[in-house]
Amino acid sequence: MVRDYNNRHALDQKLRGAPKPAHADHLEVGHWQAIATVLAHVGLDAAVERALSSTPDLSLRYCGPGEWLVVSGVDTPVGLMRRLDMLCGTQAHVVDHSDGRVLMRLSGPSARQILAKGIGVDLHPAAFVLCGSTNVLCGHIAINLARTGEDVFELIVSRSFAESLFEDLMTMGRPFDLSAAFSE
Amino acid sequence: MASLITCPHCGVRPKEEFAIRGDASLVRPAPSASDEAWHDYVYVRANPRGRTVEHWHHVAGCRRFLVVERDTVTHEVYSVVDGAAAAREAQR
Ligand SMILES: [Zn+2]
Repeated sequence: MVRDYNNRHALDQKLRGAPKPAHADHLEVGHWQAIATVLAHVGLDAAVERALSSTPDLSLRYCGPGEWLVVSGVDTPVGLMRRLDMLCGTQAHVVDHSDGRVLMRLSGPSARQILAKGIGVDLHPAAFVLCGSTNVLCGHIAINLARTGEDVFELIVSRSFAESLFEDLMTMGRPFDLSAAFSE
Repeated sequence: MASLITCPHCGVRPKEEFAIRGDASLVRPAPSASDEAWHDYVYVRANPRGRTVEHWHHVAGCRRFLVVERDTVTHEVYSVVDGAAAAREAQR
């Protein structure tokens, strides 16, 4: 039997349908987001970081020593891979994770209070600085958390955990009337 | 148990982010060592009261192995260093 391959977003079932208006605290999920993992060869951490951070369109998310998630708002997954190969292909291992990770953007005045219910790091603006990022446990799920705006946080999670994390976040945000939708 | 660990890469984190992988003070015997030496190395563990050195894996963070020195009575954490750095230090 021949079946068509259906490439569906991990949260398709949760967010399908007419977009609801965003409340003050809002969880936005990008439809398709180019994400890659870069792991520097031994001893080349600094060189790779320099190469990556010299490119304005790329956003670097710290994972560990010599390891980053690279998020691009302008590239397709293939385009991002091509760009990374040119930037640091000989100095690092580059793996496309665009289909393997889901990016969620939590924004609003209560974003920190919502996240604090599941995350054990200090989210105070002075402690978790703008453009800061780190791997962290949210509830029982390992995520990468980044602060991309004054009250804006981006969470990157493995595709298989996306639905679970989404439900956790909606529960954490219920007292704050958290809304959710795919981005336009 | 020590509930907050200061990871050298990630900062202060709750212990739930880590997996404890056991005694870090053991020295691997030579391949030709006696069966008793290997048996002790693989299976026999002390249950110390007081200062211990352990391997902790930061599973939900940087995914690095760390060497944590802590007190099993007072829960005080004395030091946390990256496993690779500790191994380099030990080789010197
Ligand atoms: Zn860590």
